Amino acid sequence: MEFAGFDRPRPSGGTLTATALKILVAGGFGVGKTTMVGTISEIRPLHTEELLSDRGVGVDDISGVETKVATTVALDFGRITIRDDLWLYLFGTPGQDRFWFMWDELALGALGAVVLADTRRLQDCFPAVDYFEQLKLPFVVAVNCFEGARRHDPAKVQRALGLDESTPIVMCDARNRASVKDVLTTLVTHAMNRR
Amino acid sequence: MTDDDPGPLVRLYGLTGGRARPPGESFDLVAIVTTLRMPFEPSGLNPEHHTMLSICRKPTPVADVAAQLGLPLNITRVLLGDLRREGLVNIAPPQPANQTIDERTYRDVLHGIRRL
Repeated sequence: MEFAGFDRPRPSGGTLTATALKILVAGGFGVGKTTMVGTISEIRPLHTEELLSDRGVGVDDISGVETKVATTVALDFGRITIRDDLWLYLFGTPGQDRFWFMWDELALGALGAVVLADTRRLQDCFPAVDYFEQLKLPFVVAVNCFEGARRHDPAKVQRALGLDESTPIVMCDARNRASVKDVLTTLVTHAMNRR
Repeated sequence: MTDDDPGPLVRLYGLTGGRARPPGESFDLVAIVTTLRMPFEPSGLNPEHHTMLSICRKPTPVADVAAQLGLPLNITRVLLGDLRREGLVNIAPPQPANQTIDERTYRDVLHGIRRL
């Protein structure tokens, strides 16, 4: 680091132990990731369009504004303040496979992940499940129970997704605050037990 | 995905002189940024840089700086990288989850979520 060994001044009133934690919200397109982040965030979720850099589009450097912007990827996030110096950020991960490199960065140091599933399109969350399993990142599967959708038996979801028995499966409503709280506490408890 | 309308994003990249990545070592989206000192005048900083310095007098995660300024994370990181290069801010290096999250942190997070 640039400041290694450098005796830097301590900012007045600041603390050097401030920590921000990440939780990823993954799942197929249109499954309710943004809704879930919005339901629980204390700030209006920030929807940002990120420019793809070299890792995404195979260009060595994007050196000037004259460069045509190839493509952008949407990233949503929300925040929960736990303490004065401890925050929890929820990131809705980009759904498309070609944005895996962004997942790598988002997942680094993350507390865990929520895989949001729609039972009508369970296959949409296979990539996320595989990814978090491979990374050994604690995750829970939250089945978003859309209105009119048949309630699913968690055991069926577990079999369909080939989940380990220890992976929690929660039925939820991404629009409902109490329900989203339940998903997050299940995840944090699972992550804590996995230590 | 908005392939057809890159307009606003291109304008935003005007803020960074077209740069998509911050100078120097990369840093996490939730790395804690702390202002070390205010710049000597005159400086080549733009209004967004100044706002960042004022926000980060209180240690603030990168994502929150972006949220407060309403800027994309990429753009925010490039501008914060400028401030780091000038020695105006410190950006905490990323730490593995097992070092940042101890038992007490997990319990505080659980309590914090339940209290919402």
